[in-house]
Amino acid sequence: MKKWLCSVVAIVMTVTLLSACGSGNKEEAGGSASSGSGKKQLNILMESVPDTDIVKKEIAKFTKETGIAVNIEAVNYSAMHEKLVPQLVNSSSSYDLIVVDNYWVGEFTSAGWLEPLDTFIQRDKFDTSVYLKSMFDMVGQVDGTTYMLPFYNYAMSLIYRKDVFEDADLKSKYQAEFGREMKIPDTLEEYVNISKFITKQKGDKMYGSVMMGLRPDPISVEWLNYLYSSGGDIYGKDGKPVINNESGIKALDLYIDNMNNAAPKGSAGFGFDEAFNVFAQGNAASFITYNWMLAKLNNESESKVAGKVDIASVPGGTSLNGGWGWAIPKNAEDKEASWKFLKWIESFDIAKDRALQGGSPTRKDVFADDDVLGQYQYYVKVQKVIDESRMIPIISEAPQLIEILGRELSEAVSGGKTSKDALDTVAKEVQDLK
Amino acid sequence: MSAKLQNKLLDGFTYAALVVCALIFLLPILWIIRTSFTTKVVAYQIPPQWFVRPTMDNYKAIFSDNPFGRYFLNSFGISLISTLIAVFIGAMAAFWIARRTAGGNFLRIAILGTQMLPPIVMVIPIFMVIKKLGLMDSWFSLIVTYLSFSLPYMIWLLIGFFETIPKDLDEACEMDGCTKMQAFTRVVLPLAAPGIMAAGILSFLMAWNEFLFALVLTGTGSRTLPVAIANMETQQGVMIAQLCAATVIIILPVIVLSLFIQKYLVNGMTMGSVK
Amino acid sequence: MLSQKRKQFLIFFVPSVLLLLLTVVYPLLYSLVMSFTSSSLKIKGMGSFIGFDNYIRVFKDAYFLKSAWTTVIFTVIVVTLEFLFGLIVAILLNRITYGKKVFFTIIIVPMLITPVAVGLIWRLLLHPDLGIINYMLSLVGIEGQAWLGDAKWAMITVVLVDIWHQVPFMILLLLAGLVSLPVEPYEAAEIDGANRLQTFWNVTLPLMKATIVVAVLFRVITAFKTYDLIYVLTKGGPGTTTEVISYHIYKQAYTFLDTGYASALSYVLLLVVLMLSAVFVKVSRGKA
Repeated sequence: MKKWLCSVVAIVMTVTLLSACGSGNKEEAGGSASSGSGKKQLNILMESVPDTDIVKKEIAKFTKETGIAVNIEAVNYSAMHEKLVPQLVNSSSSYDLIVVDNYWVGEFTSAGWLEPLDTFIQRDKFDTSVYLKSMFDMVGQVDGTTYMLPFYNYAMSLIYRKDVFEDADLKSKYQAEFGREMKIPDTLEEYVNISKFITKQKGDKMYGSVMMGLRPDPISVEWLNYLYSSGGDIYGKDGKPVINNESGIKALDLYIDNMNNAAPKGSAGFGFDEAFNVFAQGNAASFITYNWMLAKLNNESESKVAGKVDIASVPGGTSLNGGWGWAIPKNAEDKEASWKFLKWIESFDIAKDRALQGGSPTRKDVFADDDVLGQYQYYVKVQKVIDESRMIPIISEAPQLIEILGRELSEAVSGGKTSKDALDTVAKEVQDLK
Repeated sequence: MSAKLQNKLLDGFTYAALVVCALIFLLPILWIIRTSFTTKVVAYQIPPQWFVRPTMDNYKAIFSDNPFGRYFLNSFGISLISTLIAVFIGAMAAFWIARRTAGGNFLRIAILGTQMLPPIVMVIPIFMVIKKLGLMDSWFSLIVTYLSFSLPYMIWLLIGFFETIPKDLDEACEMDGCTKMQAFTRVVLPLAAPGIMAAGILSFLMAWNEFLFALVLTGTGSRTLPVAIANMETQQGVMIAQLCAATVIIILPVIVLSLFIQKYLVNGMTMGSVK
Repeated sequence: MLSQKRKQFLIFFVPSVLLLLLTVVYPLLYSLVMSFTSSSLKIKGMGSFIGFDNYIRVFKDAYFLKSAWTTVIFTVIVVTLEFLFGLIVAILLNRITYGKKVFFTIIIVPMLITPVAVGLIWRLLLHPDLGIINYMLSLVGIEGQAWLGDAKWAMITVVLVDIWHQVPFMILLLLAGLVSLPVEPYEAAEIDGANRLQTFWNVTLPLMKATIVVAVLFRVITAFKTYDLIYVLTKGGPGTTTEVISYHIYKQAYTFLDTGYASALSYVLLLVVLMLSAVFVKVSRGKA
């Protein structure tokens, strides 16, 4: 009986092993061979954010015009990479269209997962010059090939409480102590100084700034504003890491100083949401965050400080740019149909309509549109922020970069390492990535 | 001190300790329920507003923006079916192993060994097979995948329970002329009912809470509650009030489960009389 | 004609084996093969065979070693506390006659909440500035902690949340063991005049041994694989204080897309846990 069991196990194992080895190389025979606009339903994978909900509201129009149904599957940000990668690496994909975060761009294009759009663009004379340059360089083209159309932006900026920065009492005390006016700061040093001053004056009722020290994205993206605004960068012109030079260390020291002496206790563990809520409850005077947070902070169901907030460039001037782009997976079934939708959803009329519903624009003509500006006056400032912002380098290992950076920054903030040690480690580990 | 008084004191202590313990579990849940009827602003307000005018908006939102009813049905159906299969065939396998004299250790460890690889690594080959078979976004793919962990745990847990049942009992039955299967169903199963219930509940909960496979193997059709709930953490913030409303929905099966538990665990002691 | 024994084997055991071969053995073998290749999610197929390179890399990976140690600490603390707490509650519950049902209904609820939601809800409760827990503490004059944002407290906090979520499993399993214990040995002990502690030590514990082994080992294995809670609560931070091994493996596979290396890491983990369990099973079952 034992023999019998053994032989069964042996056979099954061989069979499974063989099929395991074979499965990798074989191209899938199935899949639809349809071409043209034969497809009746498009599947789109998107992130669960308000911009996606706005797109969902538009799709009925598309279906009415073309007869093609659109099924949008929205998953949350942290799950998207897990969800996408097995799909893209397979020989056919369940998705006809996807959205790509800027720091996956290098990875996705170098792995050859995205379909170049240039032939479609030239054939249909789709004008890509309407996009803000910094957006199109980030989630549009890579090395001269267009893989994506920019979907929405999330450049970072300084969001602050107007009432606190205009508070006469605080202003006069600041004048008395430092001999200069308290205003929206132009440099990071001044920003950290004001931030610490407010915390000292107001105790635990009001913090000068709220920060987010959670690994890996929140702390990395927040600190990159400090780095870029201090004149530092991750890689130098020759491609060698310069993150641990003087500007880098100064940026990290300022960051830690602000975290330890101005931000609320526990900021080292805050993600976007914890930090947002501290600000929304009226407990913080400033917050370096995505520009569209302003709209949320002006929404009374989410925020107690509605009407008291405004937006400015990050002190020092250069913030971190961010954005999502639309892309067609290389293994999509019917790329013609995917492009048809993409061309439509990014057309001026629809893009404007999305912007009017609160979507965050990427097209210059939408930013400049009277109706849009009438509704969102502060878009003038947002456009300036985006123009002057800088992105995370487009390299295929950008997710690793963020992971390493986040880990070391968190070490430095929680006292496990000095600023120099932490940044030296980053420099050493990211040197091989590029 | 008389024994009676001692007993009374001990009872008092027991109840007091259990009440404290119950509160530890209960208070966060009450706070979840409270939050599900508020807005985000109120949810984070400190000091808290003790009396809020409840809003049903969160519940409305999760059922209108999302087909939460269907997600609930998916989760419940998939968990229940995979549990039933696991209980049915797992109990038999566990009994067979428990009553074997030789090679028991090897089998036990081998069965457990299948569960020691992090699911993160398992998900890629499973995805490839499911995709190749054209079973993406189906109940079937999740049920089969969930059996891959619920069955081994089921077998493993039940071996332990079957071993506590004295061998003489089912052997005596076999002496009297019943088959192994009859000895199993008539003698062992009733005695092991509390253990089977516990293992079954465990298996149900593992499937109910599973996230990674559900994320990768489903689309919009067979999406389960954990995936739907995870979507409430967005890049633009956690929809905490809606999340709490969804959590209230996800704990609803407690009504069914507590009935089973009451039957088999609370009244457990009476089982010993099957002779 | 099949022999009686073979028939039993076919009916009782083969269905499970077949199902497990289909669902578990294939992925297991697949990742075993993958661990010897340069397999990456960026390339189609398996990648090239590179022998033991991935395994050599494992032992040079300082973050692996650190996270392995963190995992051991996490597992030991969590399982010990959950076992003691679970056993006490199970014994107390087994004593009482009233209120059992209510108590059970309460403790099942945490188990029904998916780990992602557990994490997010505890982040709400534990918010250092806006959380109800620090507020309650301040009412009784205790200064609240930064919890997840403090390198000293982060691990303790994760452990506490894990206990809240998982201890009901332990209670359930141990109680199931307790209620199915035979009555006779207790009657014998009473006749012998044993006191409560002696009865517990000499009767209950030995009888419960099989159940305890099962429950503890079950939790050891699941605790070793904990990753979703860490993912939601701390992402391994602050610094690397809560970075457990499963989260490390997760990052290798999905952030770095290095599935070959992730598989090798997983197999090292598998071997360690397997050996631990083998020792545990052997010791607990004697020479069986």
